[in-house]
Amino acid sequence: MANNELKKEISNALENNVLRGALGRFAQAYPIAREKAFTGYDFEALRNKVQEVKSFAANNIDEMMDQFERNATARGSKVFRAANAQEANDYVKKVAESHNVKRIVKSKSMASEEILLNEALREDGIDVQETDLGEFIIALAGHHPSHMVLPAIHLTKEQVADLFTDYTKKKNDPVISYLVKTARTAMRKKFLEADMGISGANMAIAETGTLMMMTNEGNARLTSTIPKVHVYIVGIEKIIPKFMDASYILKTLPRNGTAQNITTYVSMYTGVTEAYLADGSKGTKDFHIVLLDNGRRNMLKDEKFKQIFNCVRCAACINVCPAFQLVGGHVYGGHAYTGGIGTLLTAFLTSEKTANKVQNLCLQCGKCKEVCAGKLDIPEMILELRNRNAAESGLPFTQKFALDVVSNRKLFHSMLRIASVAQKPFTRGQQVIRHLPMFLSGLTEGRSLPAVAEKPFRDIFPTIRQDVKNPKGTIALYAGCLLDFIYPKIGMGVIASLNEAGYKVIFPKEQSCCGAPATYMGDKENALKSAILNVEGLNSEKVDYVVSACPTCTHALKEYKDLLKDNPEMLKKAEDLDSKVFDFSKLITMLGGLDDKGDGEPLKVTYHDSCHLKRKLGVYQEQRDLLTNTNGVELIEMNESDRCCGFAGSYSIKFPEISGPILDRKIQNIVETGAEVVAVDCPGCLMQIAGGLDQTNHKIKVKHTAELLLEKRKNQQE
Amino acid sequence: MHIVNELYEKFKAKFEGVNGECYRVAQTGDLGDLMSDILTQKGVKTLSIFESPLSQAANLKEKLSKAGFEVHTDNLLATTAVDDAGITEVKWGIAELGTLVQIAPEVDNRLCSTLVPIHLALLKTSSILPELDDMLATIHSLPEIPSFVGFMSGPSRSSDIERTLEIGVHGPEQVIVILVDE
Repeated sequence: MANNELKKEISNALENNVLRGALGRFAQAYPIAREKAFTGYDFEALRNKVQEVKSFAANNIDEMMDQFERNATARGSKVFRAANAQEANDYVKKVAESHNVKRIVKSKSMASEEILLNEALREDGIDVQETDLGEFIIALAGHHPSHMVLPAIHLTKEQVADLFTDYTKKKNDPVISYLVKTARTAMRKKFLEADMGISGANMAIAETGTLMMMTNEGNARLTSTIPKVHVYIVGIEKIIPKFMDASYILKTLPRNGTAQNITTYVSMYTGVTEAYLADGSKGTKDFHIVLLDNGRRNMLKDEKFKQIFNCVRCAACINVCPAFQLVGGHVYGGHAYTGGIGTLLTAFLTSEKTANKVQNLCLQCGKCKEVCAGKLDIPEMILELRNRNAAESGLPFTQKFALDVVSNRKLFHSMLRIASVAQKPFTRGQQVIRHLPMFLSGLTEGRSLPAVAEKPFRDIFPTIRQDVKNPKGTIALYAGCLLDFIYPKIGMGVIASLNEAGYKVIFPKEQSCCGAPATYMGDKENALKSAILNVEGLNSEKVDYVVSACPTCTHALKEYKDLLKDNPEMLKKAEDLDSKVFDFSKLITMLGGLDDKGDGEPLKVTYHDSCHLKRKLGVYQEQRDLLTNTNGVELIEMNESDRCCGFAGSYSIKFPEISGPILDRKIQNIVETGAEVVAVDCPGCLMQIAGGLDQTNHKIKVKHTAELLLEKRKNQQE
Repeated sequence: MHIVNELYEKFKAKFEGVNGECYRVAQTGDLGDLMSDILTQKGVKTLSIFESPLSQAANLKEKLSKAGFEVHTDNLLATTAVDDAGITEVKWGIAELGTLVQIAPEVDNRLCSTLVPIHLALLKTSSILPELDDMLATIHSLPEIPSFVGFMSGPSRSSDIERTLEIGVHGPEQVIVILVDE
């Protein structure tokens, strides 16, 4: 899984201050610029249309390709269908050979990078020149792109100046405007000398046989205007049905990718155009379009992955990815595609092996899904990749062992009870563990770990007095491991609030780990085991609601119906559970909320949104209302409140080097608010953030909303 | 005329927002003098013109030659590679985006708007359309889609080095549009 090679790549990337600086600055500026670009536009409506037209094309791919070919051919284009990289490369080589081509200029085409076209052409002794500024730079450096839209983002102007000095044999100063001029001058010569151009396209329109390209530098226009021969390499997923459908992509792609209202150039080619021939006369361009499959049809055949066809390659998903922002594209290993979407494309188009390795970098925070122009569920597809990989090759022994233990309630719980005693040397009488010895030390680097509670919630529960006159109903409390064994106080807060709302709370003792750790590590077998234990253990048919104070657990409980879809009897119970389980803040709000009974003591509170609660369960306003409706609480919103804290379950153990810096940024955002308390609704986030604050010696406390409400209202409750 | 002025104002603001320069004249006859001023001010000595109805009506070749510029109107592959500026007429503008739209199946039309460092575009004020969708619908309603349609929104740009925006990469470094009311 997280093997040594990947670990080394991560460490190299993290040590590259240029990359981290550039990616970090971009990450800060991007969301604001993107929002501005979409002002006055209905992003949801637009991306619904993108999804509609792209999936229509995907579902009718044969008809679409026939239509495109017919219409493009009618206008003089020559269309070739390439099943794989070899066929595509051979075709381009043949075209080059037939025109005795010596020099080729290229404008950005990711598909050509995917099939390693440059390498194939150079074998024939042809000079192939990348003309896009970033691509030109990395070609000189001998690197692969580190970002889909900004391929040279990992290099400084000083490094670029050195590369240009070598290339031009003239001293280049590290002044960006000057470097751009150098590239302009050097490429101008290449454009004028070239006898063939190669480009990619953003859209291929079936109805009219038109290719559309969206670019900024002008190199694509020159590449397609000057040489007398031109080849477009177009993945079959670029086809859309109608000319007017282009509208949705023209409106979303540039705003999402670079926060531009429109790219500087949009060029539409329909069939052959006029060109200068070798003898200086004007004639007709030899115009070729290669429609590339190379694994794309396998994607289409796969129900779980066919939605990749809806991707418009805007790279918004990468722009918001907390892991990508730290390590950049090279770590993702694919020579063409990077980031989360890149992992999926790499799996089908270039290297399954690489994809299986780098899929581990996904935090499953779901931020990419929010901004995706094609409404792709990238995290879900990455998880599916993880599942298939685990099913095929199995999990490493230690991980499998840990998951087996967690899924065995009795064993796991007795181990936790032992741990509460055995941890004593490390806690030094405090509630946290700051240092662990030897190979475990990485776990406490940059954050402290909470100590296991002396008494688990399940032992405390029978001692809690619930004074509810004429109860309106009964609610089963699902605790989850963290609440049960680390943070029992949250459970008390949940009960107090639900009692106040008029409900009696029970604690079904047979409940067990929700199975999320197994699910997110790709271990379906143990996830299923947990599902059965809890569906039976919670017996939701006997209660009005099930409450959980951990959104990851809530989501896992809701998903049991998918795990149990082949077992009709269990499925019925799972569906009942799905309809009754709610997260704490959501349920309290549904039940009418709480009266303002705060103690009135002024308290500055900021709120951190958990990934699961906000993006999987759609709950973000309810808890804010509960907090602001508590006398004394002043809610101060932090910057990037819904950005992942870096916990992500076992991720923080597998990749502490990535999780750590993500946590640092969260801590910084928290500190900047000046709040005394950070409220959260997820015990996992609580553990991570509290650990980070403890090691940075900040006095800010982290509390679950239920716990905070209990504290602020306890004196008024009786 | 009210609508035209409104679209013009919107177009101008958006076009300037993408680093373009925008001028407006009432009469075709005013074009020669204004262009001469702009080109002189920018230090242009040589230029290529892709002849169009507006350039001919304004008699630009003769006027600019007389004003002392070296003007080329044919063999444009050779001339646009070295000239300081290129002049073309574009068919439409999009107010929503500040975009110039050319129909340019002719290679010289494309060269004259791409290879030169300064592109000077002529556009009828009445040809500004409100939105992108109006533009797409207009193109779509033509008897056939022209073999080349180009949208140009200001000068070429790149942020490829250290994510710093630089204007003027491979395409024009400056783009000027003159809107003609007549």
